[in-house]
Amino acid sequence: MQVRVRELLVGLILSIAAMLLPGTDVTPASAQTPIAPAPKQPILFSHKIHAGDFKIDCQYCHADARRSSYAGLPSVKRCMGCHQIVASKDAELQKEVEKLRALWKEARPVEWVRIHKLAGFVYFPHKRHVQKGLACQQCHGEVQTMTEVAQVAPLTMGWCVSCHAERQGPLDCVVCHH
Amino acid sequence: MRDGRRAGEGMDRRGFFRIVGASSAAAAAAGCGKTTEAILPYVIPAEHIVPGAATWFATVCRECPAGCGVLAKSREGRIVKLEGNPDHPVNRGALCARGQASLLSTYDPDRLPGPRVREGDAWRPVLVADAQKLLVEKLAAARQAGTGRIAMLTQLETGSLGRLADEWLKAVGGRPRVAYETFAHEDLRAASLAVFGVDAIPYHAFEDAKTILSLGVDFLETWVSPVGYAGAFRRAHALREEHSARVIHVEPRYSMTAANADEWIRSLPGAEGAIALTLLRLVLESRQIPALPAKEVAALVAAAGAVDVEAVAKQSGVPVSKLKSLAEALVKGAPSLVVSGGVAASGSGGVDAAISVNLLNYALGNVGRTVRFGPSSSLSRASRYADVLALTKAMAQGEIAVLIVKDANPAFTLPARAAFAEALGKVPFVVSLSSHLDETSARAHLVIPDLTPLESWGDYSPREGVWGLLQPAMAPVPKVGPTNPDALDLPQLRAVRDALGRKAPETFPGVETKATGDLLLDTGRALVPGSEKTLFLAKSFADYLRESWRAMAKTVSPKAAFDGFWEDALRRGGYWADVPATKVALRAGVKVSAQAPPLDGSATDPALLVVPSSRYYDGRGANKVWLHEAPDPMTQVVYGSWVEVPAETARSLGVQSGDVLRVESPHGAIEAPAYVSETLSAGAVAVPTGLGHTAYGRFARGVGQSPYALLPAEPTAGSGGRRWLGVRVRLQKTGRREKLASPAGVTEVDHSREIFETVGLTEAVKLERGGKAPAHANLPSMYPDLKYPQNRWGMTIDLDACTGCQACVVACQAENNVPSVGKGDIDYGRSVHWLRVERWWDRGHGGAAATGHAAVPGGIGVAQAAETPAAGRPSARFLPMLCQHCEVAPCEPVCPVFAAYHTADGLNAQIYNRCVGTRYCGNNCPYMVRRFNWYRYEWPAPMNLQLNPDVAVRDRGIMEKCTMCVQRIIAGRDRARDEGRLPRDGEIQTACQQTCPTQAITFGDLKDGKSRVSRLSGSSRGYHVLGELGTRPALTYLKKILREEHA
Repeated sequence: MQVRVRELLVGLILSIAAMLLPGTDVTPASAQTPIAPAPKQPILFSHKIHAGDFKIDCQYCHADARRSSYAGLPSVKRCMGCHQIVASKDAELQKEVEKLRALWKEARPVEWVRIHKLAGFVYFPHKRHVQKGLACQQCHGEVQTMTEVAQVAPLTMGWCVSCHAERQGPLDCVVCHH
Repeated sequence: MRDGRRAGEGMDRRGFFRIVGASSAAAAAAGCGKTTEAILPYVIPAEHIVPGAATWFATVCRECPAGCGVLAKSREGRIVKLEGNPDHPVNRGALCARGQASLLSTYDPDRLPGPRVREGDAWRPVLVADAQKLLVEKLAAARQAGTGRIAMLTQLETGSLGRLADEWLKAVGGRPRVAYETFAHEDLRAASLAVFGVDAIPYHAFEDAKTILSLGVDFLETWVSPVGYAGAFRRAHALREEHSARVIHVEPRYSMTAANADEWIRSLPGAEGAIALTLLRLVLESRQIPALPAKEVAALVAAAGAVDVEAVAKQSGVPVSKLKSLAEALVKGAPSLVVSGGVAASGSGGVDAAISVNLLNYALGNVGRTVRFGPSSSLSRASRYADVLALTKAMAQGEIAVLIVKDANPAFTLPARAAFAEALGKVPFVVSLSSHLDETSARAHLVIPDLTPLESWGDYSPREGVWGLLQPAMAPVPKVGPTNPDALDLPQLRAVRDALGRKAPETFPGVETKATGDLLLDTGRALVPGSEKTLFLAKSFADYLRESWRAMAKTVSPKAAFDGFWEDALRRGGYWADVPATKVALRAGVKVSAQAPPLDGSATDPALLVVPSSRYYDGRGANKVWLHEAPDPMTQVVYGSWVEVPAETARSLGVQSGDVLRVESPHGAIEAPAYVSETLSAGAVAVPTGLGHTAYGRFARGVGQSPYALLPAEPTAGSGGRRWLGVRVRLQKTGRREKLASPAGVTEVDHSREIFETVGLTEAVKLERGGKAPAHANLPSMYPDLKYPQNRWGMTIDLDACTGCQACVVACQAENNVPSVGKGDIDYGRSVHWLRVERWWDRGHGGAAATGHAAVPGGIGVAQAAETPAAGRPSARFLPMLCQHCEVAPCEPVCPVFAAYHTADGLNAQIYNRCVGTRYCGNNCPYMVRRFNWYRYEWPAPMNLQLNPDVAVRDRGIMEKCTMCVQRIIAGRDRARDEGRLPRDGEIQTACQQTCPTQAITFGDLKDGKSRVSRLSGSSRGYHVLGELGTRPALTYLKKILREEHA
C-alpha cells in the first residue's frame, strides 16, 4: 500500500509540473496560427529567404523525405555547398552565416531545436506521404513564409485520422502504432 | 533487468516529507520553461546512410568455429539485428540462437571500453598509446632474454589475422601460436589420419544420406557446424516423394538430437566404439557391401574380426537383435552416413570409436559420397588439447616471459586440474586482447581490448573452399547514455530520485582502443627494425587483409580484376567455390580396439557426461542475457545449470528435481541442483557446460556450475584430445534446495485435445499421395465473418521440421525489443517472450493422459513422474507457440479500450498506446501468448543501442504479444510500393521464419491461393492447435511424422 502511495505521489507531482508548463494541448484556430511560439534556434535560419524568396525546393535540403521515414536535416556540408560562396548583404544576417562557417571549420553540427515531434509509439513515414504527392505545407504550414518556423498543426491522432479518412489513407491502428 | 522498485519496500514518514520537499522545489523550478530537444545533422553525411532506412553489411559470425555467414542490419550506424546470409554455403540464411545473440557482445554493458593496466587488485585505464608502449617494452625485454619467451594463445583463426600473428611471432622470436578451441574434436582428426592418412575432419553430407546413424553426436546442437548440419539433416529427413531419410541416434542421454531422430537407442556411456566395430563386423558378414579390393576387405575383416557381438551387447546395453537390425538398416539404406565424436562421448576410447566409424563408412561405400575429405572442416587446424597443456607447463616452469591471450578463456574452459590459472600466475607479464574481462583476462597485467567482430576487419575460413570476409559493419560503440531516461532523471527531479534511493542510469563511456591486427603491425614494426618495409609493410590490418585477399584472388580467380573481386566479396560476405571430394585410400594395418579404458573413479559410480550447451557453448555465451532467457531445449530450464540424474538413481538417493547435489569426481567437486530425468541411462549423470563463471560480465557471474571442475587434466593417448568422458562421480545430497527456473507449465501431451498432433509414416505417405486438407473446426461465432479486402496474413509451422533449437525465440527477442525479465520472474510466469518453443512429453495414446497419470503441473517437475514409474520412456515433442492470430479471437471482445483488435489483413493487433493494462485479454487467451509488462524493464547502456527503431519499446503496465513482425510486413509493402508492385510471395519473412535452420516456419498471404503458405495451410497434415475452441487461427501446424514404424 505504501508503495502505491509513493507511486501516486510521484505521479501527482509530475502532473502538477506538467500543468505549470506552457500549454501544448491547444487546438489552433486556423492552420496558420502557431500552436506554440517558434523556439530560438542557434542560427537564425530563415525558411522565408531560402524556400520563399529563393524558391529552393524543400527536398533539396530535407533530402531523405522521399526515401525514408525521416525527412532528414541538411548536413553542414550541404549548407556550406552554397554558403562557401553565398553571403548575405544584410550585415545582421551575415553574422548568422558566419556562425555556420565557424561550425564548419570546427567540424561541428548545428544544434537545431526540434519543433515537430511525435510520440515514441507513433511511426510516421515521410516517404509514403511525399510520394503520394502531399505538400509539405499540409502538416508543416506555410513554412516558406516563416522567418522562424513554429509548429502550426496539432499533430494529434484525431488530426491525422481525419485526413486519412478524407483521403482514403489506411485507418488500421497498426499502420502507425507497432 | 527491471528497475529498482520492488513491492514491499517501505517508505517512512521522514522519507515522505523529504520527497514532498524536494519535489515542490523541483516543480517550482520546472515550471519556468519547456525542455527542448536538440536534433543534430551530420557535418559530412556518411555515404550510403539514409537516416531511417536500413543498410545491410555481409560479415561472418564468430561465436563458434562453424563460421556461418551473416548479414548485419544497420540503422543510423548501429547494428540492430543479425540474420543468416542466404548466399552463404554453410548456413544458407539460417542462424542458431547463439548466432542471433552474438551482437550482444558488441553491446555488452560490461565490455571494456579501452586499455587497462593492473595495479594490485585494481585496474587503471590507460591511453592506447601508453598501453602499446608498455607492451613493446615488455616484449623487447622478453626478446633480450632469448627466443621462445613470448607465447600467444588465440581462438581458431584460419584467416589473415592468424597468419599475421604467426608471422609476428616468428619475427619477434616467439613460440608457435596455440589456436585453442574448447571443442576441437581431436579424435576425428586422429582417426582420419590413422585410417586414411589425412589429418582432417571431413564434411559430412547429411543431405545426401538415406540412412543416418549418429553415435552420440549432437549435430543439431554444437557439433562442428550445427546450423549447416541441421539444414542438411532436414533436407534429407523431409518426406518428399514418399521418401525420407531414416535417422537413428545412439546415446546414453536423450539429447535434442536424439529427440529429433526417428529412433533413439539408449546405450551405456562409452560404448560407441564397440557398437561401431560390431556393426562393421555385422555389415561385413552380410556380404552386401559395395565391391572392394580383396586386400581392403581383408584389412576390414582383420580390424573387426575379434569383436564379440554378445559381449558388446552386454557392454553397450544394446541387444544383439537391435545391433543386427542396425547393420541391416545401414546395408539396405545406402547411401548411409555414420558419425561419431560428440563431445559428451569423447573419452579415452574416442579415437577407437572414430576409427571404427571410419572403417564402417568405408565398408559401406560412404567415403567420398557422404563423408567427403575435400571440403574438410578448418577445425582440423586448431591446436590439440595436448599442445595447450604443453604451453601451460611451459608457463608453470617460468619459460614464458610474455603471454598474449586473445578470444580464449582457458582459465575457465580448461579442466581445473590443468591448473592454467596457477600457471598464469607464473608468467611475469600477461596481456589480454579480449574485449571483456573473463577468468583469463581478469588475471592479466595489461588488457588492450580488441574490437568485436561486428566492428572489425577480418576473414575466416570454416572449411576448404569457403572464405568468409568480415567488415566493420559499425564504428566502435560510442558513448551511450540511457535511451529513455526516467522522468526522475531530469535535472530538476534528481533530488526526488536520490530521496527514493534510485540509482542513476548507467552510461557507457564509448570504446577507444586498437584492433588486434593493427596492434600486431605497430608492435611488430617497433620491435623488428626494417620490418616496416617487408613483413609489416601494411599501414593497417585492413590493408594487410586486402593484400592477402589479392594473393588469394590470384589463385582462385586469376582472370578477374582484383578490385571487382574484392567488392564482390565484400558484398556477398566472402568467396566460395565447390570443392570436390578428394579420393582417400584405406591404410594397411589399421588397428582398433573395442575396449575403452576404464573411467577414473569407482566402477560402481555413474559416468559423468559433459554436455556441450547449445546456448552457452563452452561458456562464451554466458554473458548474453537472451541466451539465459531462452530455455534449454530439453529441460526447459532457464538461468542456471543442473545435474541430470536418472529417475532410478534419484529414487535410490531420495532426490527430487531441485535438490542440490554434491557431485564429486577424483579431480574435483561441484554442487548443483538435480534435474530428475526419466530418459537418461542409469549408468550416467549429465552436466551441461557454459555456466559457473567467477568473472565475466554481470549476467554470467554466479550463475550455475561448471563441469570443467570435475574433469581430468591428462589428454587421451590416441589423439591428444580432451577426456570429456573421463570420470565417474559420486552423488551426495546436501539437504539444500535450489529451484530450477522454467517458463514451462503443463508438459504432458493430452491426446484428447488438439495440442500436439502426430501422424504415422504410412499414413503420412498416403496423405502425401492424395490426402485432402482436413476440415478445420468452423464453429459458429456470434460475430460477423471477417472480410479481407487485400491480404490475409497467415503462417504454417511444420512440426516435422522443428528441432526445438530456440533460434526463433532469440531472433524474435532481437527483432521485437522483447525485454529480459530475469530468472525469478520467468519462473513466476512473467516471461515476455512472444514466441516460445514448448517441450512436451508424449507417452503415446496409452500414456499419461489415458491412464489417468495426471499431467504434471509446475513444469519440469519430472520428479513426480519418477515416483510413479510411467509405462516406457516419454518422447519429446517441440511445439513453437505464439499468437495464433485467431479470426474469432477471444482476446479482442474483452478489451474495454479496443487495444486488441483485428486488422483488415487478418492480424490480431495490440495497440500499446491504447492499452490500460486490465489483462483481460491475457486471461482470455487459450494459448497463453499474451505477455504483460509487470515492470519497466531496462536495457543498460549500451544494450539500448540494439533496440529496433521500428518497434515501440513497451512500458510498464502494457500488454504485448506476437505481431507477426508487422514492422516487416509494412517494410515489405513499402519496398514493393516503391517498385510499383505488390509484395511477392516469400518476400516478407518474419524474424522467426528467417532464422529457422530447418525452415519449419512459413509466412505469407492466405488469400493468394498460389502462395506457399496457402499450399501448406491446405496440407493434409495440417491442424489447428485447440481448433475445437472455434478460434479459427491463422496459424496452421503440420503434424509431426512418426517414423518409428521403420524400426
